[in-house]
Amino acid sequence: MDVQLKRGLLDVCVLAAIKNEDSYGYKIIKDMKPYMEMSESTLYTILKRLELAGMLTVRTCEHGGRLRKYYHITKAGIARMEDFQNEWREVMLIYQFVSKEDKRDA
Amino acid sequence: MRKQELLGALREKLYGLPRADVEERLSFYSEMIDDRIEEGLSEEEAVSQIGSVDGIVAQIVADTPLVKIARERIRPKKRLGAGVSVLLALGSPIWLALLIAAFAVILSLYVTLWAVFASLWAVFASLACCAPCGVIAGAVFAVTGNVPAGIVIAAAGVACAGLAILAFFGCKAATRGMLLWTKRMALATKKALLKKEVAQ
Repeated sequence: MDVQLKRGLLDVCVLAAIKNEDSYGYKIIKDMKPYMEMSESTLYTILKRLELAGMLTVRTCEHGGRLRKYYHITKAGIARMEDFQNEWREVMLIYQFVSKEDKRDA
Repeated sequence: MRKQELLGALREKLYGLPRADVEERLSFYSEMIDDRIEEGLSEEEAVSQIGSVDGIVAQIVADTPLVKIARERIRPKKRLGAGVSVLLALGSPIWLALLIAAFAVILSLYVTLWAVFASLWAVFASLACCAPCGVIAGAVFAVTGNVPAGIVIAAAGVACAGLAILAFFGCKAATRGMLLWTKRMALATKKALLKKEVAQ
């Protein structure tokens, strides 16, 4: 897969994982697992990138006698997801068109 | 491997990267391991799921910008004493000039390299321009009566078009190779900087 495309997809996947409720690192990886395998290092890099871009905020909470970081989506993050959905609606239309041409040729 | 062993090994191998960045990353891995243990995994299993030390280090080095590593590398580890500060100030006409010269050399090497690629693309552009011009000029010659000259010029134009197509693929491949090479050099430089730091 194209690197830039994959990067964009990963960003949106992580945002989707924290969209409905604040989540933490391990839960994000577990929630994404059926759709996309992701290593801890990759997730860290993405979370950092999204935080710097203002798409999520981080808060540290105590959990079972230790600290755990929770990630919260911001308005900018929600806007990014909406942009993604609109873009992909167009991409899917093009995909349908391309696939249809394919079938006729076969 | 136990959690503290993994974190210790990472801390050692990442020496030379900004310390705050490293600690933040390590606390992230630590949290991930603790969450797995909480779910019922043994400490060894949890650590092994995080990945190998070398794998993690390689990814972190690739993720960290070269500038950040270089800046950290240049920063003095201890506060400078008065004597050293005076020497640095007095010696500045020499080392500052050397530093600027070194930067200038590196920059000029880089510019020269890109100039080669700019000239390659310029060859392509001129060929691409000559192609339609030759054909049009050939047509004009042919219409105005000089048919043999017209044919020769038009043929030259078509030849230019062919060469332009070949040159385009050549230039594209060369530029792509150059970009890949630059990326690899940046990674090698980062690794070299980190290794030096560990050796000290």
